[in-house]
Amino acid sequence: MPDNILKFSLNRCTSVERLADNTLRSVCRLQDTFTSAFVELTARLPDLEVLEARARFHHEWLKPPDLEEILSKLPGMRIGPGMLKIIKGLVGEDQEALRQVAYMVEECCHAVIISLTKDILTQAPDSEEEKLEFFSSMVRENIRLYNRCAAFAPGSRLVEGIEPDK
Amino acid sequence: MLTFARNKLVSVAVKDRDTLSIQAVLDDDLYGLQIDLCVGLSNPEILTIAGKWNRRTTPECYKAIPFLQEMRGERLDAKIAERIHKSLGRKGCRHFANLLIECCHAATQAARVVRWEEAKKAVADLSFENFIKQEASGESPARAQILSETAARGSASSPGRVKTPRGEATGSGQAGLEGEEGFVIDLHTHSFPASSCSSASVDELIEEAKRIGLNGICLTDHNHVWSCEQVEDLRQKHDFTILRGNEITTNQGDMLVFGLDKDIRGIITIEELREEVARAGGFMIAAHPFRGFLTFSTVQLGLTVETAAQRPLFQQVNAVEALNGKVTEKENGFASSVARALGLPATGGSDAHLAAEVGAYATRFSVEIRTEAELIEALKSGEYAPVAFRSQKAAKAAGH
Repeated sequence: MPDNILKFSLNRCTSVERLADNTLRSVCRLQDTFTSAFVELTARLPDLEVLEARARFHHEWLKPPDLEEILSKLPGMRIGPGMLKIIKGLVGEDQEALRQVAYMVEECCHAVIISLTKDILTQAPDSEEEKLEFFSSMVRENIRLYNRCAAFAPGSRLVEGIEPDK
Repeated sequence: MLTFARNKLVSVAVKDRDTLSIQAVLDDDLYGLQIDLCVGLSNPEILTIAGKWNRRTTPECYKAIPFLQEMRGERLDAKIAERIHKSLGRKGCRHFANLLIECCHAATQAARVVRWEEAKKAVADLSFENFIKQEASGESPARAQILSETAARGSASSPGRVKTPRGEATGSGQAGLEGEEGFVIDLHTHSFPASSCSSASVDELIEEAKRIGLNGICLTDHNHVWSCEQVEDLRQKHDFTILRGNEITTNQGDMLVFGLDKDIRGIITIEELREEVARAGGFMIAAHPFRGFLTFSTVQLGLTVETAAQRPLFQQVNAVEALNGKVTEKENGFASSVARALGLPATGGSDAHLAAEVGAYATRFSVEIRTEAELIEALKSGEYAPVAFRSQKAAKAAGH
């Protein structure tokens, strides 16, 4: 077989939609060489508690897990810090199929968080100088951002003059 | 209407006889980035990696790119995602980390396809499904053939590095409650290796607690039960009050429990934990109940004290951790308000993962506590308050 032919391809799309009743619906769809799957979560604002979860999972050779039972454990979980450990614990990670489903649940939750982050970042100004001040204020407002990534690490213009212990 | 969409596309081709070439793109409302990497086939590790931003949020995001090079040599084993999160995700950028994890998954799957194609040279009618079954059982003659062929290629690659970066943490300061009397215990600490996320040995925690003038500490390692004998040895060694607790992850978040000897594994529902604690006559505290997000807060979400107080978890706990060293002042303030609204006692704990963090926050009891039984009795009495111990000490030392 010629080398320019792909051996594997993956397409994962995750989207968030705000519904009328103050809930968010997050859907992760996966289509790859072996897998066709989706996971859908509904979460309620403002506490971001998962209300409902459903999924479908088809794989070339992996036996599909009992999704109904697994997903029934998710309602009540809060989307937020520490959720990864909870998702892995509730969905399980001892089978390849479960690891994939858990990852898709995680993707749905991250998408919810980033969609809310987008609301904040749309307020960022256009000019470079004002942008620096905007992000610097964000770190001051929430010191946990300090050193969370390269952009907010010591040496970055965004954290100049910020000392996390003070 | 969609408020957010993220698309990821990963493609894997064979570059040469022993190398896979992976191209990946992530594109969402906020970020656009791409990664190109090469992964070994006979020795599955990252050989080369490059990345670039197409769109980014901050003027400093470009600083993440060099951290991709730290991933060179990483082996694509079962723990690769964890290591990418901890290294590239924390030091560089979590979005590059997210895409690299997809790349590693795709490379692993592509390697299967390549091995199957090799196997078909020996067994022409070998179906993919049968190949996978045989590979899983390790009984395939075709697989043996592939392995021998692989060996014959004489891969010169060295074994992949398995880096295990340790967690980092930062402290936070906040004004605490007034008062100097009483018996002050840090009810929330983590030691290594009992908690893999901690960087402080139990001896370092205890020495620091003594140095700064705490009266005692509780060891609350994640889902870890210290034996009575271990803790007694530590008490005698350090001549200090050391008590046992446990931080247990439930479907409703983390709970500090005291008086429960049972070794809880995995995730338990809060109702099940409540039953276990009640049966043991113990005490349960909602740990950092409003630990929140990085770029927005509970206030921005529109969460009010009244709605937060209605969360079912508060029906199951005996107290609320209102001062925690790992959350923001606002989150601590909010937890304190919710505790007040519910009429639940409030506690404080540093959540220390470094020795220097011990005692940032603690709980001031009105009675002296030397044993676990005395601790639980005191907790049930409600006669205590959370304190910002270190900052109070510092203020006193400065003469304020």
